[in-house]
Amino acid sequence: MVEELLHSQAGILNFGIFFLLAVVLLFVILGFVTYAILAERKVMGFMQLRQGPNQVGGRWGLLQTVADVLKLLLKEDTIPKLADKPLFIIAPVIAFAPSFIVMAAIPFTDKFQFADLGVGLLYYVAISGLTTIGMLTGGWASNNKYALLGGMRAAAQMISYEIPLVMSVIGIVLLTGSLNLNDIVAAQENVWYIVLQPVAFIIFLIASVAELNRVPFDLPEAENELVAGFHVEYSGFRWAMFMLAEYVYIFAMASLTTVLFLGGWHPLFSFLGFIPGAVWFALKFMCVFFLLLWFRSTFPRIRADKLMEFAWKILLPIALANIFLTAIIKEILNLF
Amino acid sequence: MTFSGELLAFMSLALVAIAGGVLLLNLNKVVHMVIALVFTFVSIAGIFILLSAEFLASVQILIYSGAITIIMLFGIMLTRHSETNVPKTGRLRKLLLFLGILGFGFAFYIGIYNLDFGQEAADLHVNNTEQIGIALYSKYIIPFELTSVLLLATLVGAIILAKSDDKKEAEKE
Repeated sequence: MVEELLHSQAGILNFGIFFLLAVVLLFVILGFVTYAILAERKVMGFMQLRQGPNQVGGRWGLLQTVADVLKLLLKEDTIPKLADKPLFIIAPVIAFAPSFIVMAAIPFTDKFQFADLGVGLLYYVAISGLTTIGMLTGGWASNNKYALLGGMRAAAQMISYEIPLVMSVIGIVLLTGSLNLNDIVAAQENVWYIVLQPVAFIIFLIASVAELNRVPFDLPEAENELVAGFHVEYSGFRWAMFMLAEYVYIFAMASLTTVLFLGGWHPLFSFLGFIPGAVWFALKFMCVFFLLLWFRSTFPRIRADKLMEFAWKILLPIALANIFLTAIIKEILNLF
Repeated sequence: MTFSGELLAFMSLALVAIAGGVLLLNLNKVVHMVIALVFTFVSIAGIFILLSAEFLASVQILIYSGAITIIMLFGIMLTRHSETNVPKTGRLRKLLLFLGILGFGFAFYIGIYNLDFGQEAADLHVNNTEQIGIALYSKYIIPFELTSVLLLATLVGAIILAKSDDKKEAEKE
């Protein structure tokens, strides 16, 4: 449907349709974020032998996040006196906008997707890098040493881990022969890439957790060192924008992991094909998301100097070796 | 010229690109300038997409708005810099500058007005990335290899510079 729309004449009607679709996607994502936060708190609670939220909205705390968001909206919006005002205001926007833009390229099922880009994978990596600028600007504009340190750490970490992240998926690109996310899913109809590229999967998972700034790589927000990292001075809705960006990236990254390694909307076994692709995608997506929550409640934070060493001295060489090996094996298989 | 979505997109992207460039020149604080530059880079990537150069657009955002901007921000934020305005220039200089701009604009107008690229390639968007790859690794392999050697030399140089700094500091202590 979107394919036809993209080639149609520009007009108010088409603009309206696109706008409406984007708003619908935004609300779907907001709904996901609301319950992702609740799920995170519940899962962490159970793993740490406590209850988690259980007061607002029944026994399961179903309205807890809604109440939290309402509180954030009603909170006073403070801007420090010595802050760089224009940058302080624009930073949450720069951080959030790319997180929503990347959603356009991800194919959820063969029908439900927005843009079928030839360079889908590269597009994701490129656009998600823009968020770093928002974080760095926010940290700088706050005029606070903890915020600046947090921003610097965020930038250094995200740039360093972007490289193993990209290197790990090159194996997949070699096997598929395309950067298009649809082609990558189509190539996994029989065997998922997690089977063919297990090393790449592990590197990708580690690098993606680091890109998401989550435990054990949450140094930019290390509470006991930096108070709260780059968003110390933010309050109310501006702070919520940063948090929202973070959770939208979790959504996007879990979707990308599903698309790249877990076969997207393809069923686990072909005789289970009667179950719709959307259900399969959702199931796999939830497994990846649960893994992220599991990491958060079980791993301790890694030290700052070890963090850089880990990216450059361990992940990158392994990723390069993986590319090398994949290329050789592919060429050998082509000979026969 | 008909009014189409492409024209609309081009106009808005061009506007943002030029506005970013003008802001880059006119803002006072260095960090503000870099943020204005990011807007220019991103809208130029958008114009690449309009020309069906998707790969180039992604790389433009990845390298320019991602890596280079962040290195610039790092450099600016971690060093001291005085935020003083440049002193105002004299009237004669402004006049000469204006004449220079007029001349430049006129030269470009003449250059572009009757420009003919021959027949337009219609299938540029088909397998864009693959075409770039094939061209790069077959026709332009020697320049490509030379560039990689140059980058390697730069990398080694950077490591040597960083190492020698460490030693000097240790000796001082």
